[in-house]
Amino acid sequence: MSEEREIARRHLEARVTAAIEASLREPLERAAWNEIALAIHAFQLAHNAPYAAFARALGGGPPTDWRSIPAVPQSAFKRADLRTFSAAETQLTFYTSGTTGEGFGRHHFRSPDLYESSLRAAWRFAGLPVGRPHWILIPPASEALHSSLSHMMGALAPLASEQNWLAHRRDDALALDVTGLRDAAALAREPVILLGTALAFLALFEQLGERTMTLPAGSLAFETGGYKGSGREIAKDELYALFTRHFGLAPESVWNEYGMTELSTQAYANGLGGPHRPPPWLRALVIDPESGAEVAGGEVGLVRLFDLANVGSALAVQTQDLAVRRDGGTFELIGRDPRALPRGCSRAADELLQIRP
Amino acid sequence: MTTAERAAALALAAREFAPWLGEITAERLLELVHLELGSAGVLDGFVPRGAHRSRAFPRSPLVHIMSGNTPHAALQSILRGLLLGGRQRVKLPAAGLPELAAFVGAMPTILRESVEIRPDLPDAWMAEAGAVVVFGGDETIASIHRMLRPDQVFVPHGHRVSLGVIFAEVAASLEAAAREASLFDQHGCLSPHGFYVAGDARAYAAGLAAAMAAFQVHTPRRALVAGEAAGIRRVRDDVAFRAALGEDIALWVSDGGSSTVWTVIFDGVDSAFTASCLDRVVYVKPLPASLATALASVSAHLGAVGYWPPTPQAAERLVREGLRASRLCPLGTMQNPPLTWHQDGQPVLAPLVRWIDVE
Repeated sequence: MSEEREIARRHLEARVTAAIEASLREPLERAAWNEIALAIHAFQLAHNAPYAAFARALGGGPPTDWRSIPAVPQSAFKRADLRTFSAAETQLTFYTSGTTGEGFGRHHFRSPDLYESSLRAAWRFAGLPVGRPHWILIPPASEALHSSLSHMMGALAPLASEQNWLAHRRDDALALDVTGLRDAAALAREPVILLGTALAFLALFEQLGERTMTLPAGSLAFETGGYKGSGREIAKDELYALFTRHFGLAPESVWNEYGMTELSTQAYANGLGGPHRPPPWLRALVIDPESGAEVAGGEVGLVRLFDLANVGSALAVQTQDLAVRRDGGTFELIGRDPRALPRGCSRAADELLQIRP
Repeated sequence: MTTAERAAALALAAREFAPWLGEITAERLLELVHLELGSAGVLDGFVPRGAHRSRAFPRSPLVHIMSGNTPHAALQSILRGLLLGGRQRVKLPAAGLPELAAFVGAMPTILRESVEIRPDLPDAWMAEAGAVVVFGGDETIASIHRMLRPDQVFVPHGHRVSLGVIFAEVAASLEAAAREASLFDQHGCLSPHGFYVAGDARAYAAGLAAAMAAFQVHTPRRALVAGEAAGIRRVRDDVAFRAALGEDIALWVSDGGSSTVWTVIFDGVDSAFTASCLDRVVYVKPLPASLATALASVSAHLGAVGYWPPTPQAAERLVREGLRASRLCPLGTMQNPPLTWHQDGQPVLAPLVRWIDVE
């Protein structure tokens, strides 16, 4: 049984990997997408017991369309181990950041391969540049073993000319290497990409005070994570204005990554007001929280994501994020459900963050 | 105006606001003054008190800082302030409070002109205040408190949570329980978040769901914004997932899940109090061996506890539980407190006056 399951898993992951690679060259046909999604769903019904129990409890027949695949709530990753392999086979587990009272969510992986392929492909699909230095305001995975964001930064190494880790975990706190950043900026001659959580950037700006840095022309910033109940939230346009003030980066040079521990794929938005555009192997529905039906274009609802790269866990995840449905499968985030518990990668970093003047 | 004249005018104006204030009469208002201050005439002149004579004066101006839940607190607070006389200054919540302006507008000119209503809180209001009544969360209350001098009286009303306890005759309580969990969409501090039920609590939850559906037919819940409805979806999804895993928890939802107008959750896993996300989301839990233990986490924030059956024995049983709730009342009356109740366990008029004694 285990061997059959492993063969099936590898087969599915190979299909998804091929679809990801192909979709970078040409559009992924709707029928092909649907077929892969339904195959993954069937695999997860067969080998992911908590998910199967949930889907059975919801009732309804076998889905014929990806839209009908039951989506687990994000909290399901806290309530159960959603995996299509055994605990002994688990190679990698990411934890969600601390929440109030409900414990940590866990996203298990049989292997990091598909996850890493997906995140690098999503980077390329978004049109983010390849071969530039990455200056990273997130601790490396060696200091944050179960952080999906730290792992992600490391997995982006093949797309970077070099990686400069400018945040470290010290005594259970996160310290930003502002001096290292200033030294790097003084020496930089080619465009760089500055990567960090929104909270880390906010802390950096606070530490910089009135000081500014000039980055080489063509440099970008990559921010992720939101604020999620940290109590330190500022509006996106204000944050982006700080990028301009301190680094001389126009809003169009700042990218936002929308991802979560529970997923294997990320969606990106560029500048202010631009919607998040998922890559072809990640699809989003915006669901009316009142009726449970998909909203019309321009209306607000909850984001429900279908990630083909989540072969090992749960394909469909109902998030707590509110967004406006936009054209072409894109969506514009308007923030987390205000009643949702504070959580998120950014918060994890912030919980560690020590402001050191 | 004398106290009696103010009471008469207020009772007249309050007639249209019975859903929030209950039935107000001049006699009841004067009874409240008598109970709190010792004499209904003590605001109008000196009255004998022990071996001397005393007269009460309203602490004026009285500043009311309102929260945005329901009009209850605001209307009651301004009613009490005006009953005592003196100037009233009301800081509205961000969402406004049209009922308050309507209530004040229904009063005779002399009372109406003693009330100022603003959306902001001028520094001068705080500097000149004789007393400040504030409704809100711990943070708001603490920040207002920091703005006051020691000689200014501070009357805080923090957030409260309420619940119901059904000891027996469970089926007969369903209609009252559904009404309590639906009225004002649970936004009042006296609205129950859930019920502890003796016997088969799961069956009770099913019955409550039917009663909630029936209440919705004649009294629909207000429309929610996306964030509010999303909060209900989140709770429902989580419960549904836990139920699928085999936990002793169950969910009943409105319209088969195609609306969020009511939600009943049976939770046999955790007897500790669970705060509802409101808007007719109600928890049903088996009655635990110790209510005080189950409610320990909200002990300092307990408002009303509604009991059933509506008998003195049921009330006594709750008293013996040693809960820190300030109000124990029959289920069905939770959100209609008597005029003379001790809100948050405190006198409501006494802190708002100062005294002069003549010996």
